[in-house]
Amino acid sequence: MKCTNCGLRDATTEVVVRRNNHVEKMFLCSECANNFRPDIGSESFDMLNKLINGSPMGLLNSFGNLFNSPTSRTLVCPDCKTTGDEFLKTGFVGCPKCYKVFEPLVVQTVKKLQQSDRHVGKTPPEYLDRTDEITLKTELQAAVDSGDYGKIVELSERLKKLLNNKSEGNQ
Amino acid sequence: MNVFDNIIVSTRLRLARNISGLPFPHKLGELPARKIIDNVQSALLPVDKFNRYDMNDISKLDGTILQEKHLISPDLLEDCPFGAVLISADENVSVMVNEEDHIREQVILSGLSLDQAYDRVNRIDDILGKNLHFAFDGRFGYLTSCATNLGTGMRASVMMFLPALTIQNMIDSSINEVGRLNMTVRGVYGEGSKAEGYLYQVSNQRSLGLNEVDIIDSVKGAINHLVEAELRARRLLQHNEPELKDQICRAWGVALNAYKLSTEEAMQYLALLRLGCFYNYIEISDINKFQKLITDCQPANMQKSGGCNLSADERDVLRARHIGASLASFCKKLL
Repeated sequence: MKCTNCGLRDATTEVVVRRNNHVEKMFLCSECANNFRPDIGSESFDMLNKLINGSPMGLLNSFGNLFNSPTSRTLVCPDCKTTGDEFLKTGFVGCPKCYKVFEPLVVQTVKKLQQSDRHVGKTPPEYLDRTDEITLKTELQAAVDSGDYGKIVELSERLKKLLNNKSEGNQ
Repeated sequence: MNVFDNIIVSTRLRLARNISGLPFPHKLGELPARKIIDNVQSALLPVDKFNRYDMNDISKLDGTILQEKHLISPDLLEDCPFGAVLISADENVSVMVNEEDHIREQVILSGLSLDQAYDRVNRIDDILGKNLHFAFDGRFGYLTSCATNLGTGMRASVMMFLPALTIQNMIDSSINEVGRLNMTVRGVYGEGSKAEGYLYQVSNQRSLGLNEVDIIDSVKGAINHLVEAELRARRLLQHNEPELKDQICRAWGVALNAYKLSTEEAMQYLALLRLGCFYNYIEISDINKFQKLITDCQPANMQKSGGCNLSADERDVLRARHIGASLASFCKKLL
């Protein structure tokens, strides 16, 4: 399903907004979900503000305070059915996909709790390979589009080497 | 025993990992949970020989013994029916499966051994990662069931013996100080428990936005801070030396001669003897045996060594006998 806001990217996040007993569902891509802001004065926005600006208490206290606040926005993971409220209440998600679905909430939460939202530690080699592969393919496409033959040869060689290394590693 | 060894008991380093594409343990059914245990066991074959204990098979007593040895968490024993643990022959490595996360790789070494513990757990992690596809995200790092473990999934813990700070009611301010360094200080048996035997566990709070080396360095910084505070407090304790010597000699007398000792009493007296060793009032010739004695004195370990269903009183009698005999073999009073 395409994002009901931009209509361009695949929807990864279900957003339920309650307005005067009327429930409205939106299916957003991660970018639109990131930029999504509830209506001014909405209680869910107050809830996030509490998270960001609250006193530096322990994690569970923070989650506990959030749970006590009423919420007007509910995110639901399509895979494991965990809700955004559950995440805010406990700090737990149900599956790896939840991190995409609840990304805006997770970012706000971990920035407060961990003072960062970017991993800088160990990275699995297969992930590095995958990232390199995507980058190289993107750069190669750009070189093809611009007709930069020198670059095309260089990037093709690097991509070929990477894919060979990967297939050797899998044997 | 040098000063550092007297204050720092052991190091524990754990990495939290999950399998890509599967719900986290609290949302996982029995069959996939069992499959994960089997897969982890197979993946560990190149590492070492591991003994497997499934939580639905293990007796309450044997499970509690593993918990008292810090090889499993209380949660794995109490709340994870599809959980298991794989423990290396030397008991320095334990891999909990289907606890809070699918996999919790853990290395425990004596003394302050953060670098060595990380080297070892990292090698195990590399081997497991080759065979199991870990859930990983470019932004959040290793994905864990709780957001507090995101990123490296690493918790570096050091068990510290801090009697002087505790006795002089300075421990709370020291805990607050290391709290400002983003460290957590808990009682030795984990969250919410009392610090029996003046034993505290110091560990990093942050696992995201720092790499593994930075986390280890930050824990080392907090440890050094606490060691210095404890040494200052020990010098203050010595201002009333007759009282200090009396307390330690009484502990020696009771530990060696009591007819029965509860766990709490045993922890208290052994702690005072360890403190006495620092002041050269007591000699401990083998710190590893002394440390093992503390584990041996815990209720489930005592029950097991008794070989039958002992009453609490019988266990206390056995404990007193064991402590007396052990101390006589590797400890000496120097006063």
